[in-house]
Amino acid sequence: MAAAESTSKRIPYFLITYLVLWIALFEFVLPINKILPRPSIVILSFGDLWKDYRLPVNFLSTVTGVYFSIAVSYFLIFFLKSILIKKDHLIIDFITSLNWFSRYLPGMVMGLFLIYWFPFSAWTTIVFITGVAFFSLASKFGTELNHLDRAYIDSAKSLGADSKAISNKIIWKSIQRNIADHILEMHGYLWGLAIIFEFIKGGSGLGSIFKQALNYNDLSALFSVSVITAVTVFAGFHAVNFIKTKFIHWN
Amino acid sequence: MSVLKLENISKFVRGYAGSGQLILDDLNFEINIKEQANYVTAVLAPSGAGKTTLLKIISGVEEQTSGKIFLQGEEYKNAGGLVPFIPEKASSFPWMNVAQNIKFALELKYKAADAQKLNELISFVGLTGYEDHFPDERSLGFRLRISLARALAVAPKLISIDDPLRNLHGETKKEIKQLIKKIPEEKNIPLLIATTNISEAIEMSDEIILMKKHPGKILGIIDLNRELISGKNQKYIEEVKQQITKSFAEQENSQLVSDAGIK
Repeated sequence: MAAAESTSKRIPYFLITYLVLWIALFEFVLPINKILPRPSIVILSFGDLWKDYRLPVNFLSTVTGVYFSIAVSYFLIFFLKSILIKKDHLIIDFITSLNWFSRYLPGMVMGLFLIYWFPFSAWTTIVFITGVAFFSLASKFGTELNHLDRAYIDSAKSLGADSKAISNKIIWKSIQRNIADHILEMHGYLWGLAIIFEFIKGGSGLGSIFKQALNYNDLSALFSVSVITAVTVFAGFHAVNFIKTKFIHWN
Repeated sequence: MSVLKLENISKFVRGYAGSGQLILDDLNFEINIKEQANYVTAVLAPSGAGKTTLLKIISGVEEQTSGKIFLQGEEYKNAGGLVPFIPEKASSFPWMNVAQNIKFALELKYKAADAQKLNELISFVGLTGYEDHFPDERSLGFRLRISLARALAVAPKLISIDDPLRNLHGETKKEIKQLIKKIPEEKNIPLLIATTNISEAIEMSDEIILMKKHPGKILGIIDLNRELISGKNQKYIEEVKQQITKSFAEQENSQLVSDAGIK
């Protein structure tokens, strides 16, 4: 634990070293190359991204898609928890069957079908990411339910708690922290899926900027969008973590 | 006055492929509060005798396969709130702080938590000043205090506690013993305690129910003379210990925890 903490404290030094190396190597030593763009050109390319690649719209499209989907899937789990608790419900069988399929059929393949069925819909990305996030969270919910400490339920039941109070105040609260941790774990994965989905589908989103930049052979745009994506994923992760520690804490 | 009466309580747990196990076999006993007794009843049995199952059935957490339970003369099927059960690990809810844990129980009983009642309970279990502390990663003694306050919050007829002293040591064990004894003394609420330790059963209770295992069955009930025990009458205490040991020896139960706490 202490080793991991000290490593994370050293990360900014690594980032500064990479930045200095990049500036030194690609601005002065190798200004013309096909590996990484010149820093000065990257700074200039932000203007082009804004105008030519419609950065604000595409950026907002992906950010909204990812976080709206996370929020929807979280609240779906919250509202369906009383059903998910019942182990012999049809919805549980449905989720279990889809989880079984997803072991052999990657979720991205299902995404291709969505693109085929709804090629022009702006909602397709949201539906896809929500689907992936929901089934992952539902699966996590099931696993946590199996590992739930029965003593909490026994105590509450003996105090006179009814099934609604046990579901809302005991089972959900007991599982909620691990659900939030799971959202943090899959946060980067969902971002990756959203970008690949948009890349294949086209239309709007950061993925479509990547596609355009590759089509135009625009290394500086590719680099700039990568930096923007990394900064956004970093900020998003910490925002989700902040919400988790602020509202779902045990100490 | 009859606090609790069990009539022909049995518990059978069905296993896979038609197999099953009889956990409790036809238990019959009655807890009667006598004058000038505090009233603590200990269920003394080796591990695996079904003590926890018995406590859970009495608390309404589990259902018996057959038999009837009477609480203060009335038969009940769902004991919710009448007999709070405190598990061995004293499961105070880790996502709630001390005050919230107790409020949870007060709200179950009274719909709203009265601040005075809350403070009185916190003070009774010795947690004043720790109201906003979370039980997660705190000692078992701390969590047990919360669980006891929560149990008291629902104004129960009886509290069942599963081996409360088993994992406690030193000063904490002494303090928790005192706290447990304080409940019947000051709140007039009888306790039913499961234990594997002969000395603790004698020290804590007014009456001991002896159980054997495979399946759980009552071997006998020993009424204790509280005055002699409080006066540390070693001769009497030794006699009771011998009586208990003899009963278990007859049943060839070797897993009972000895005085020294050695299995």
